[in-house]
Amino acid sequence: MLLSDIITPELFASAVRLATPIALAAVGASICERSGVVNIAMEGLMLIAAFSGTAVALLSGSTWLGVLAAVVASMAFASLHAWASINLRADQVISGTAINILALGTTGYLMETVFGHPGTTDPVRTIRPVFDFPSGGSGALATVWTWVDTVLFSYTPIVYFGMFAAVFLTWALYRTRWGLRLRSLGEHPRAADTVGIDVYRGRWSAVLASGFMAGLAGANLTLEQVGSFTEGMTNGRGFIALAAMIFGRWVPGGGYLAALLFGFADALQLKLQIFSDVIDIPPQFFLMLPYVLTVVVLAGVVGRAVAPAAVGKPYKAKG
Amino acid sequence: MTADPGPVVCDLPETGPSPDPVLELRHITKRFPGVLANDDVSIAVAPGEVLALLGENGAGKSTLMNVAYGLLAPDAGEVLVDGRVVSVRAPRDAIALGIGMVHQHFMLVEPLTVTENIVLGGEPTSAFGVIDRDVARRRVVELSDRYGLKVEPDARVRDLSVGRQQRVEILKALYRDARILILDEPTAVLTPQEVNELFDIVRELVSEGLAVVIITHKLEEVMAFSDRIVVMRAGRVVGETVPSACDEQSLARMMVGRDVVLRVEKSPHQPGSPLLEVMNLSVLDDRKLPAVRDVSLVVRAGEVVGIAGVDGNGQRELVEAIMGLRRPTQGTITLKGRDITHDNPRRTIAAGVSHVPEDRHRRGLVLDFDLVENVALGDHRRPPFSRYGILDRAKLEQEARRRIAEYDVRTPDEHVAAANLSGGNQQKLVLARELGRDPDVLIAAQPTRGLDVGAIEFVHRRILAERDCGKGVLLVSMELEEVMSLSDRILVMYEGRVVAEFEGGAVTEEELGVFMTGGGRPGAEALGSEGTDA
Amino acid sequence: MRARMPDAVRDSSADPDARREAAEHRFAAEQERVRRAISVATPFISVAIAVLVGSLVILAAGKDPVAAFSAMFRGSFGGVRQIGETLLRATPLVFTGLAVAYGFRSGLFNIGAEGQLFMGGMAAAWVGVMVAGLPWAVSVPVILVAAGLAGAAWAFLPALMKARIGAHEVITTMMFSYIGRYLVSWIIAGPFKDKGAIPQTPMLPGTSQLPRLSDVFTFIEPNRAHLGIVLGVIAAFVVWWILKYTVLGFEARAVGFNPTAAQTGGISVAATTVKSLCISGTLAGLAGAVEVMGVHHRLFDQFSSGFGFTGIAVALLAKNNPIGVIAAAVLFGALSAGAGTMQLDADVSQKVISIIQGVIIFLVGAEMIVTWAVGRLRDRKGGDDAAQ
Repeated sequence: MLLSDIITPELFASAVRLATPIALAAVGASICERSGVVNIAMEGLMLIAAFSGTAVALLSGSTWLGVLAAVVASMAFASLHAWASINLRADQVISGTAINILALGTTGYLMETVFGHPGTTDPVRTIRPVFDFPSGGSGALATVWTWVDTVLFSYTPIVYFGMFAAVFLTWALYRTRWGLRLRSLGEHPRAADTVGIDVYRGRWSAVLASGFMAGLAGANLTLEQVGSFTEGMTNGRGFIALAAMIFGRWVPGGGYLAALLFGFADALQLKLQIFSDVIDIPPQFFLMLPYVLTVVVLAGVVGRAVAPAAVGKPYKAKG
Repeated sequence: MTADPGPVVCDLPETGPSPDPVLELRHITKRFPGVLANDDVSIAVAPGEVLALLGENGAGKSTLMNVAYGLLAPDAGEVLVDGRVVSVRAPRDAIALGIGMVHQHFMLVEPLTVTENIVLGGEPTSAFGVIDRDVARRRVVELSDRYGLKVEPDARVRDLSVGRQQRVEILKALYRDARILILDEPTAVLTPQEVNELFDIVRELVSEGLAVVIITHKLEEVMAFSDRIVVMRAGRVVGETVPSACDEQSLARMMVGRDVVLRVEKSPHQPGSPLLEVMNLSVLDDRKLPAVRDVSLVVRAGEVVGIAGVDGNGQRELVEAIMGLRRPTQGTITLKGRDITHDNPRRTIAAGVSHVPEDRHRRGLVLDFDLVENVALGDHRRPPFSRYGILDRAKLEQEARRRIAEYDVRTPDEHVAAANLSGGNQQKLVLARELGRDPDVLIAAQPTRGLDVGAIEFVHRRILAERDCGKGVLLVSMELEEVMSLSDRILVMYEGRVVAEFEGGAVTEEELGVFMTGGGRPGAEALGSEGTDA
Repeated sequence: MRARMPDAVRDSSADPDARREAAEHRFAAEQERVRRAISVATPFISVAIAVLVGSLVILAAGKDPVAAFSAMFRGSFGGVRQIGETLLRATPLVFTGLAVAYGFRSGLFNIGAEGQLFMGGMAAAWVGVMVAGLPWAVSVPVILVAAGLAGAAWAFLPALMKARIGAHEVITTMMFSYIGRYLVSWIIAGPFKDKGAIPQTPMLPGTSQLPRLSDVFTFIEPNRAHLGIVLGVIAAFVVWWILKYTVLGFEARAVGFNPTAAQTGGISVAATTVKSLCISGTLAGLAGAVEVMGVHHRLFDQFSSGFGFTGIAVALLAKNNPIGVIAAAVLFGALSAGAGTMQLDADVSQKVISIIQGVIIFLVGAEMIVTWAVGRLRDRKGGDDAAQ
C-alpha cells in the first residue's frame, strides 16, 4: 500500500514547488559568484523579500504589487552588499552575514511596527497556477494525463520563470558576450580590467541579479506557496541554495537541478509525515532531512567542484 | 670604458626624443605611500621604433607604463598620443587610443580558450549579444597568420606553455589594433631561443609601423634589440642613449648608480659526500597530471646544484615534493642516507632541509605576522623557541633581533608586520630564518626574483657562503645567468625530466636554452611529443 | 657593497638608495601606526553609526529615539539589579564571542556556534541531572567538560569536512546548527522530557547549578548575574594566552593569516583547522552550559535567543581580540537587557537591537569606511608635509 500512496504525481509537483525558492536563489547565487562575489546573504535577501511582498500585498490588496515590492526590497539590500563588497572591498562573507542578521532584525521590527504583533501575518491571496486544464475522465489515458497535467502544468508563474531562468542563463553564460565577461570577472578580474571591462559595474550587476532572483524566491515562498509571512520563515533555504549552487558547479542549470534534489527530499519527508502512524519516527527527524542531505551532498561533491578562481577576493581597480 | 665611477648621468650622448612620437609621457609623477615611484619622468616613442626602458626592479618602469595604460592615475603629468594630450583614465581609453600592453604577469583567463581570451572585451557578436564564434575564430587565425604568431585558437590557455601564452597576449593587443605595444619584462620567462623568436616578432611588428616599448633589466637584450634606450633609477630618468653609443658596463653603472660586479667570485668546486639524494622521483601537479617524471639527482656537501628550465616544467613540484609539501607517486628522497620521502614539512625542516620558496608573499612569509613570529615559523615547535607547547617569547625576540642584525634586515624594529618591509628586506628575512637554523641542505627557488641589484648580490653571497661552509644547495631559477654564475653543476628540466647535466662553466646560455625547450640530444623529440599529450 | 656598510650608506642622504630606505622605514612605521589607529577606532565609530541608524529607524516609526535609548540605558545600567541583568545576558555572549573570535583568528567562520551552543546546553542539562548527589566542586567541572566536549563534537564533522575536502564551514556549521536544534527539540519532547505537558528537561539539582554572584558575595544587592560571567572572563584570558603564548595558538594564527606559508613552515593546515574549529565549538558549548546552569537550570526550546549569532557581532566588534570580547559582550548584553525597558517605557520594538547588531557587523566588516575616512585625513596631512 505504501509505495503507490507515496509515489504520486503530486509528490513530483510538490518537489518542484518546494525546490523553487531554493532553485531561484541557487541560480542567482551562481551568477553572483561567477562574477567573483560571494553572496552568503541569499538567506536574508529572501527573508526581506518574503516580508516586503506579503506586507505590500496585504496593504495594497494587489499580490503582483507584492511581487514587485519583494524584488525591489531584495535588490535594495543586495546593493548594500554590493557596495560593501565591491566598492569598499569588505570581507564578502561578513558583509553577507551582516545582511542576514539585518534582515532578521528589520523584518522582525517592521512586523511589530507595521502589524503590531510578532510571529505571523494575516493570510494573503496567493497567485493562481498559470494553467487550469480540466482533469479528464478515467482509464489509462486519464492517468497519464493526470501525471502530465500535475507534473508539468500545475505551477504558478514564478515557478515557470525559475525554469526558464535556469535554462536561459546557462545558455547565456557560455554563448553571449555577457556570459564570457561574467566568467572572466570571477576568474581573473584584472585581466578583464586590462581589456576594458568595467569590473565594478559587472560585479554590481551580478549582485543585483542575485538580489532579483532572491526577491522572486521570497515572493514565491509567501505569495505563491505559504500565503503569509512568518518571522525567520526562510529557515536556512538561502544556505541550502548555496550548497545547491556548489553541487551544480556554479552553472545556473546545475544549481536548479541540485535544488530539485532538495525539493524532492522535502516533498518526500512531508509525504512520509502523513504516515507517521505507520512509520514511527519523530517529526524532528523528518525536519532535519534537508539539512542532513545538504551536508551529505557537500561531503560528496565539494572536493571535486572548483569555484571561480577569484571568488571572494575584493578587486581594487586603480592605484 | 670600464671601471670609471665618475658622474654616470652625463657621460653618454643625449639623443632626445625622436621626431613625431606616437606616444609621449610628459613630466609624470606618481607617488605611492612612502615611495615616489615616478618623479617627473618624460619619455617618447615613435612609430617603427623599439624603445627599451631599462632599470632595476623597483626603478619605476612598470609604474610608468601602467600610467600610460590607464591602470594607474598619475599625480602629475600628461600623456600624449599623436601629439595630442589625451586622458587615459582606464585601460579602455588606452585601447581606444591604440595602446596595447603585455603585462609581466600575463592577463589571461586560464580556463577560457585562446580565442575567448583574445576577443574578450571586444567580442564579435550577432544579434542580442550572442558571440559569433566563427567570426571570432577566423579573426584570430587571420591575425596569427599575418604576424607569424602560431597559436591553437581552441586550446585552453592553462594548457599552453608560457611562450605560447605570451603570443596570445601579443595577439590580444593586435586584435585591438594596437599601434603602440608595451612589453613588460617579456623575456623573463623565455629561453634564449624563445627570446630570439620574440624579437623577430617585435622586428616584424616594428616594420609594420608599430611603436614598441620594452621594459627590461637585462642589458644584453637592450644592446641587441633596441633602437633607443631610456634608463631609469629610483623613479627618475637618469639617461638616454642608443646601443651604438654605450656598452653593457656603462649601462649597468647608469642603471644601478655605481659599479656593478657582473660576475660572482667563487672558490673551486670541492664536492664532499652526498647530502640530498633524489631517486626516480615522480610527482603530480595540482591537476593530477604528471609534473615530475622519474627524476634523480644528488646534491653533495659544498656544492651548488642549479636547475635550469622554463617555468612550469616540474621545478615547483620537485621542490615541493622534497619539502614534503607534495606527495610523490614514485621514488625516494634521502637526506644524509635517511629516507625523508614521506616526511611532512615539519619533519623535513627538522631533518635539516631549509627552503627559500619562490613566492615569498604566498609561501615564504606570513605577511601579517611581525618579524619575530616570521623568524619563529618552522622552528616554533622546537626548543628553545617552545617547550611543552608553550612559546618562549623572550627567547624568540632575542633570536629574532640577532638574526635581523646578522642578515641586515632593514626595519624600524622587530615588531612591524613583515608586509611593511621592502621586497629585498623580506627576502633577507626569509634567509635569516632558513639559514639561521643552520641546515644541511638549502633549497632556493627563484631566490632573487623581483629584487634590486644590492639585494641580489646579498642573496648570492649568502648562497655561496653556505656552499663554502660545506652545505649543499639546490638552486632553482629561471634566470639563466644566475644559474650559470652560482652553480657547480647544472641540471636542465624539461617536461618534468632532467634532460641534461653540465659542469658549471662548461656550457653556454644558448646550449642550455636548447635543452630547456626539449631539443639538443637524440631522443629529445620523443620526450617532447610524449610531454605534450598531457 | 651596500649590504656591508649600512651606516655609510645611511649617512649619505644624497644617495637615492638611502633616501628610499629611509622612506620605506617611515612608511613601515606609518603603516603600523595607521593600522593600529584604525583597529582601535573602527569599533567605536561603528557603534556610534549603528546607534544613529537605530535612532533613524525608531524615528521612522514615529517614536522618540532619545527616550528609547535612555530607557535602554536605565534598563541596563540603571541600578545593581539592571547591571546584574546586563552581566547575565553578557555571559553566554562572552563564550560565543570567544568561540567565533577563535575561529576567525584561525581563518574559520563558525557561523553555526548556535548549534554547538544547543549541544552544550543539552549535555549540561543531561549530565547535570546524572551527577546529582556529587558535591558542587566535582559536578560543576564535570558538567562544563561534558558541555565543552559536546560543542566540540558538533563542530568536529564540519571541521573534518573543511580539512579533508574543503567544504565551506559557513554552510556546514549552519546546517549542523539546524540539525542540532531539531535534535534538541526532539530530546526535550521525547527521551529526556520532564514530567508535565511542557517540552523541557528536568530541573538541575542545586549542586549542578552556577550560583548567583549575590548569593556568593552577600554584600552585593540581589541580582540575577551568576558565576558564569567570572568563568567567561577567565575563559577570555585563557584564550588570549593560548593565542599569544602557545604553539597551538601560534599555528592557528599562522593558518588564519596565510595557510600556504603556514604549511611551508611545517604546520599541518588540516590538523590546525580541525583543532581550531573544535576549540571554537568547545567555547560555544560552554555558552550553552552556563546558560543552562546559571539561568534556566533546565533546557527548553527557546533557551537561547540567538546567542550564537550575536557572538558573531561580539567577535567582530572586538576585532577578534579575546579581552575585547568581554567589553563587546557587555555592550550587547546591555542592549539586550535594556531592550525590555525600552519596549515598555518608549514603546519601541526590541527587535531594533538586532538591526543595530547587523549594522555593527556591516560596519566593522567594511572597515574600509573607517580606513577611507582616516585616509582622507592623512592625505591632507601628507600634503602639508610635502609642501614644507
